[in-house]
Amino acid sequence: MGMQVIIFIQAVVNGIMIGGIYALVAVGLTLIFGVMDVVNFAQGEFVMLGMFVTYLLHLLLGLDPTVSIIIALPIMFCLGALVQKTLIARVVGLPHESQILLTLGISVLLMNLTLLIMGADPHSIQTSYKFSSIQIGPILIMLPRFIAFAVAMVASIILWLFLSRTELGRGLRAVAEKPEVAILMGINPKKMHWLAFGVGIALAGVAGTVVTPFRYIYPNVGQVYVLIAFVIVVLGGMGDIPGAILGAFVIGVTESLTSQYVALDLAMLGPYIIFILVLLFKPTGILGKGRAY
Amino acid sequence: MADRDKRVNWVGTASLIVLAAAVLAIPLILSNRYLFRVLINIFFFAALGSAWNIIGGYAGQLSLGHAAFVALGAYPTGLLMFHYNVPPWAGVLPAAILAAMVAYLLGKLVLSLRGPYLALATLAFGEIVRILLLHFKDFTGGPLGVTIPFTGTNVWRLQFATEHMNYCICLGLLSLCIFVASRIHNSRMGYYLQAIKENQDAAENLGIPLARTKNLALVISAILTAAMGGFYMIFMTYIDPYAVAGLNLSIEIILVAIIGGVGTVWGPVIGACILVPLMEISNFVLGSGRAGASMLIYAVILIIVVLYSPKGLITLVPKLEGYRSE
Repeated sequence: MGMQVIIFIQAVVNGIMIGGIYALVAVGLTLIFGVMDVVNFAQGEFVMLGMFVTYLLHLLLGLDPTVSIIIALPIMFCLGALVQKTLIARVVGLPHESQILLTLGISVLLMNLTLLIMGADPHSIQTSYKFSSIQIGPILIMLPRFIAFAVAMVASIILWLFLSRTELGRGLRAVAEKPEVAILMGINPKKMHWLAFGVGIALAGVAGTVVTPFRYIYPNVGQVYVLIAFVIVVLGGMGDIPGAILGAFVIGVTESLTSQYVALDLAMLGPYIIFILVLLFKPTGILGKGRAY
Repeated sequence: MADRDKRVNWVGTASLIVLAAAVLAIPLILSNRYLFRVLINIFFFAALGSAWNIIGGYAGQLSLGHAAFVALGAYPTGLLMFHYNVPPWAGVLPAAILAAMVAYLLGKLVLSLRGPYLALATLAFGEIVRILLLHFKDFTGGPLGVTIPFTGTNVWRLQFATEHMNYCICLGLLSLCIFVASRIHNSRMGYYLQAIKENQDAAENLGIPLARTKNLALVISAILTAAMGGFYMIFMTYIDPYAVAGLNLSIEIILVAIIGGVGTVWGPVIGACILVPLMEISNFVLGSGRAGASMLIYAVILIIVVLYSPKGLITLVPKLEGYRSE
């Protein structure tokens, strides 16, 4: 293999690893949108909170980030359900402007509350495997990134099983597809709403947890994820979960290739341009199943 | 409709004169530099809120990327001054033209989008501008931004040792923004925009040129926003991509309009009169090093306004409310 080919494959592999993490954030976002028809601008802040919960568990109990998922996940689920019951429930069914402004308010609130409590300095978690890597032929994958990717994939599969095999999961999908019919079938949409928001936030929290071994933890970090997650959700089609997973890989690889071949600090430009193009030419997403306005 | 326009404009003009007389008297008696800067900040945000309101409020097209237009005003003004010694009052003209052209193209591209899609597209636009400003460091200074050194009072370069002139310039720009906004609000275009806000499909069926009206509102809004960006450059003498093109600024601009009263002429002024002093007080009480405090208070106010008073605090002022509903 020529050097150029190896560099290209390496960039694609890096993109897929990142895409797996983006998928978690985006699937949570698209689930919330699909079930509740709410656009959650605070999704990135829940990734940030997931990072801080993991950081504190590591600091206080010495837990490894991967292990701390067991504690972080229920915490984030409850936080999501709480935010839904106290705030989001009031804007369900209202114009999107109200929802955007409310979730934007929640986003700014969480970000600055964390800033006040934890300070602006970036934190990091040291693990024994921080610099370990897996080598497949000439391709190198950093171990923490691979673990993050693997956890993200396992979480996605569990979510898929939950949505397709369980009573609750089927209820969620029913509310997403035909809310009126779901009510007639005896499904309580309010219950499904806080379940969806809790699950969506828990997924964002897990994404936050798994990136801590290789990403700095600071209060503004959520902004990086929220816009990317929206790009992916629109690309996959609003409300479409398989579309979001596919979109996450497309965006991860685009980001990786842009930083490899255009410029490192322009990495995010590729995804944003794709985003606007998709909005203009294919607003129902790559699989064509999303909602258009 | 002509009569109505006349009456409303008369009320607007009268209020403006009273307000202008009061605020014009302030520089004669005030000498505290800090208070001057607070007042200028109030004018600055009131003007930005008014400019945003034209597209975001009157037309209901939620733009989350307006900081980009502040940057498109501030950067050309600052760079022309820094690299070519062009005075800012001249430099702001090409800056405003650039902002207008960018707004026109952006409008052509994204204003046909609805609801959350438009909000997201404008958010992405703001981020693209910020990323490009960071990237082209040789010309823009990258993350370090642009600093215009103070070389003594110089009227040609609009550099002043005291804040009196900045106060007057900002007040003038604010008056311009309010004037333009109120003219639009009470004109045929204002009714078009209101119809678009209520229901775009119905508006189109009534024969309102949807794309052209929205695009014109965005371009006007962008020009005024860019002019305020130019002022920011001479007032702060320093700009960087986070300060003038960041999401925080976009959110602050929206907050001013939303909290005061979205879609009303005086709402943004009320919003700025509440938000800017609040920010100063919170910085004073909690220490300005803790930058989170003021944004935290903003966020709480925004949440309360969205949940309990979606038309903004202007609804608490009965007289202005009457004017608003004209």
